[in-house]
Amino acid sequence: MKKIAFLIVTLIILSAGIYFEYEKVKALNIARCLGCIAMEPKAEKFKNFWVEYPSSYKMSGIPPHPSWLVNESREKIVMLFFWGPACHPCELQWNAMKKAGIVKGSEENGSFTENFSYAKLFSINQPYDEKGGIITLYTSDRGTGTPTTVILFEKNGIVYWYAFSGEANGEGGRPDINELINILEKAREEKYGGMQP
Amino acid sequence: MVVCNLNCPSCPFAYICIPMIIGAFIALKRYSGRLQKKRIVSQFSFLFITNTAFIFGSTGLIYTYFYCWESPFALMACPIGVLEHAFADRTWYILVYLVGAIGFASVIFGRAACGWACPIGFLQDLTKGRKIKREMDRKVRYLKYVILALIPPACYITERLAYTEICPIGGLTATVPHLIINPYGYTFTEFFLPKMLITAGFFVLIFLMTRGWCRHLCPVGAMMAPFNKISFLQLNYYEEKCVKCFKCAKICPMQIEMPYKNKSTECIRCGKCVDICPTDALDFNFKWQ
Repeated sequence: MKKIAFLIVTLIILSAGIYFEYEKVKALNIARCLGCIAMEPKAEKFKNFWVEYPSSYKMSGIPPHPSWLVNESREKIVMLFFWGPACHPCELQWNAMKKAGIVKGSEENGSFTENFSYAKLFSINQPYDEKGGIITLYTSDRGTGTPTTVILFEKNGIVYWYAFSGEANGEGGRPDINELINILEKAREEKYGGMQP
Repeated sequence: MVVCNLNCPSCPFAYICIPMIIGAFIALKRYSGRLQKKRIVSQFSFLFITNTAFIFGSTGLIYTYFYCWESPFALMACPIGVLEHAFADRTWYILVYLVGAIGFASVIFGRAACGWACPIGFLQDLTKGRKIKREMDRKVRYLKYVILALIPPACYITERLAYTEICPIGGLTATVPHLIINPYGYTFTEFFLPKMLITAGFFVLIFLMTRGWCRHLCPVGAMMAPFNKISFLQLNYYEEKCVKCFKCAKICPMQIEMPYKNKSTECIRCGKCVDICPTDALDFNFKWQ
């Protein structure tokens, strides 16, 4: 009887665990730390902003950008910064962006500095934020991981975007922090032309 | 559809495929006995299932053995990774899921996952290794419990995946394959070198000792070990049939004092003792009472 009791108790615990925590564990599984493991960045060296998935992605066509994101990208240049709480390379990138005067605050509640007032930052705690799931739109499934950085803007009904996975350290096709600033400036030029927003 | 074009250097599956083929050759020579033939099928099947994210994607299931979820095609979550996240991120509820997953599997099978499912156990079966002095083995066995006990406070204090940073299984099944697939994708942190050194140490260990990792250092084995006492699947010893030849003790990869300690927390239910017993004094069955 003791064994049966143990079995029933563990089955109840397991069922409760699956019911309440399956999605969280799945999000954690997807939010694998790129820096820790050398995940393929799935990024092409930045030349122009993309409309469709570039050839390095497994997916093709125009990404199904969520409507809230399209709305936000109409107003301003949007940067999505996907990070994870225990992700060391995410921390490295955040600190480097902070040092370069791009962002202020912490990963949890950071924003762009006044120099980048034309842009809006969504710093997304990928496994725990309800917006975290959209990371899969901007990386292929097995390339998904933190940190991932996405820059988007809308112009004449078209969403232009650029994404890279892994720390912005200039390696593996990824931009370094100075190139990241250039990409944001380029986005501003593309969206607003010579006009200040 | 072309299954294999024999272009291993550019194939993302090569890192798992090549070891499987080499493993098959070694295993077919080395595994003998009724249960061992079944075990090789089981170990191969689990090695494949473990790496099927290219079919099913990343799931929210938890492995009941040790395998890195950062591995390129890892299907499920690493139990130690989940434990680390619970303490590093203060997300206590995922501990319920972890306890349920490990507990449920272990109440039924005890530590059989180590012998029949774990790819790292499979690797150790292939490397074989040697036996060490019993006295030394007995003392060092408790190290895995110490490691398991240290992981939660280390993650809580540092707010990082403290064990992952230096995990040799992560080094072997995630870092090395990823470095092979894409050497430029890595962010080298201060933990890279220690991790690689520990991974090298892991290889030395498994070549020197039979199941050296399982016996002495594996924290997942430490999680499951106590369940051996109460699990449904039990290794039974029939004293009246025993001729005291102690072949079982000699062949046991975990160096258990067989046949008397058949309920040992170290038993991985590999069945080598059952296969070698000349009088059928040992067998496996599910005991519901």
